Amino acid sequence: MTKIVVVTSGKGGVGKTTTSASFATGLAMRGHKTCVIDFDVGLRNLDLIMGVERRVVYDLINVINDEIKLNQALIKDKQLDKLYILAASQTRDKDALTQEGVARVLDELKEMEFDFIVCDSPAGIETGALMAMHFADEALVVTNPEVSSVRDSDRILGMLNSKTKRAIEGGEPVKEHLLITRYNPNRVEGGQMLSLEDIHEILRTPLIGVIPESESVLQASNQGTPAIYMQGTDVSEAYKDVVRRFLGEERPMRFIEAVKPNIFKRLFGSK
Amino acid sequence: MAQAHAGKPSDRTAEIFELKSATLSLLALVLKSTDLAALRGALQAKLGGTPDVFNQDALLVDLTQLPQGPAVALDDAAAAPAQLSLDDALLAQQLDLPALLELLREYRMQPIAVTGADAALLAQAQALGLADAPDLAPAPRSEPRVETIEVVREVVKEVFVEQVREVPVGAEAPRTMIIDKPLRSGQQVYARGADLVVMALVNHGAEVIADGNIHVYAPLRGKAIAGARGNTEARIFATSLEAELIAIAGIYRTTENPLPAEVLGKPAQVRLDGEKLVMEALKL
Repeated sequence: MTKIVVVTSGKGGVGKTTTSASFATGLAMRGHKTCVIDFDVGLRNLDLIMGVERRVVYDLINVINDEIKLNQALIKDKQLDKLYILAASQTRDKDALTQEGVARVLDELKEMEFDFIVCDSPAGIETGALMAMHFADEALVVTNPEVSSVRDSDRILGMLNSKTKRAIEGGEPVKEHLLITRYNPNRVEGGQMLSLEDIHEILRTPLIGVIPESESVLQASNQGTPAIYMQGTDVSEAYKDVVRRFLGEERPMRFIEAVKPNIFKRLFGSK
Repeated sequence: MAQAHAGKPSDRTAEIFELKSATLSLLALVLKSTDLAALRGALQAKLGGTPDVFNQDALLVDLTQLPQGPAVALDDAAAAPAQLSLDDALLAQQLDLPALLELLREYRMQPIAVTGADAALLAQAQALGLADAPDLAPAPRSEPRVETIEVVREVVKEVFVEQVREVPVGAEAPRTMIIDKPLRSGQQVYARGADLVVMALVNHGAEVIADGNIHVYAPLRGKAIAGARGNTEARIFATSLEAELIAIAGIYRTTENPLPAEVLGKPAQVRLDGEKLVMEALKL
C-alpha cells in the first residue's frame, strides 16, 4: 500500500526541500521504494539538492499534460536503486497543476508499487501547496523555532484538517508530524529562539524530530547532496532518526541538549 | 390496516405522534415596498457577493410596514410601470405574494409565516402554505430588526471563507454545537442560533462565533464572538483566556488593550454589563 507524505510548512525557507530530499533518501536507504515529487512548479529546487539537475529532461507538468509517459519523467537516483525523483517545471506556473492531473500521476505511481511518495510542497497556501497536500496520508510540517514560522505551520495544520481529500471526504484525518528544523539549543537558552515546549504549547502536534541548525546543510545543498549523506554530522543523524521514527521505531530525541530529556519525554513521548 | 385503525384508534394515535410545544428563532423580513424588482435589486446589492448567506433559514414575512391604501399603490405602480399595470394596482397594494416567495427562496430564505397581512392576503398566504403570525411580539420594529440582519450578514460572509458547520434544526435538538478538533489559524466556526462548545484549542487567527454562548475547554487564543445576532445575555467562557479579540453582541475588545492580569491565561468568563465587557476569573 503506497503512502503519500507531504512535506509542507506555509512559510518559505524553513527547510522543506532539504527535508524532502533527506527524508526520501532515508526511506530509500532503508529499502523502501520511494518517489519524491517537486510541487514547486516554476521554482524547482529539489533536483538541485538531489544532484540530478543535469538529468532533468521531462517534468511533472509534462506528465500532467499527457505529453509524455510517467516513466520518461521519473529520474532514477544513481546511488539508490529504490529512489526516484520527479522534477518540477521551471517554465510553467502553479496553475498548470490540476487536481485530476495530480491524481492521475499519483495513481500511476501507486500502480508501480511505490512504498512512499514524498510531495515537496511549495511555500504559501495557494494552488501549489494545496495540490501537494491534497492526496496526502501523512504530513511532515516543517517549522523553525520562531513565531512567524510557528503561526504559518498552525495555518497549514488547519488546512490539512479541512482542505485535503481525507478531510473533505470525512475519512481518517491526515496524520500530522511536526519537524523542527534549524534548532539551536544555545540560542533557545539565550531566549532568541522558541523552545520545544513553547512550540508544543502553541501547536500541540506530535514531534517527529528536531534537526539542529548546522552549516553542513548549506554545504550539502551546494554540493547537490541530500544532507542525510553528510556522514558523521548531527544533521545526517537527526534525519536518520526522523526516518526511523516515521517507520515506527522508538528513538530518543537528540541534539536538543538545552532541554532536559525527561521533561521533553513527558511532552512528546506519548501519542 | 384499515381494520387495525378502526379497532383501537386512540391507542394508535398516541403511539404515532406526540404534540409538543417548540419555539423557533427566525429572521424577519420587514417589507417596506411591494415593488419586487426594487427588492430584488436591494437583495442583490446587499448579498450579491455572497448569495449563499442564508442557508434555508426560516423566515417571517412582516408586512406591517407596507404602504397602505390604493393611493400609495398607484404611486408604486407609477414608479415601476413595467411591473405593475393599473389593473394590478388594486391587488398590487398587497403585492404579488407567490412571486415574493419565489424571490426569497432564490436567496435561500425559507418563508414559513406571515404577519401583518390583510384578510385577502392572509388567505392567499395560507393557501401557499404560510402560517399566520398575528401577534408578533411587539418588540423591536424596524431599526433593531434591520440591524439584526446586518450583523448576520457580516458574520456569515466571513464564515464562508473557511468553514461552516450548522446545528440541524430539529424541534428537540439541543441548540449546542460541539467541536472536538483544534481550531487553527484561518479556521472559523459559527454556531448559528446555538451555543458553541470547543473541546480543543482555539489558536491565534482562528475565530469562534456563536449566536449564543461560547465555551472553550482549552486555551482560547483566537477571536471569540458571542451573541452574534445581538444577544446581550451571551457569555464567553474559557479555561485559559488569551483571546486576541472578544466580542459580545457587537461590543468588542482587542488585545491592543491587554487583558487584565487576573484573567489572562486563567479560567475566566466574559459577559456584558450594559455597554461594558466584564471579565471575571472563574473560581474553580
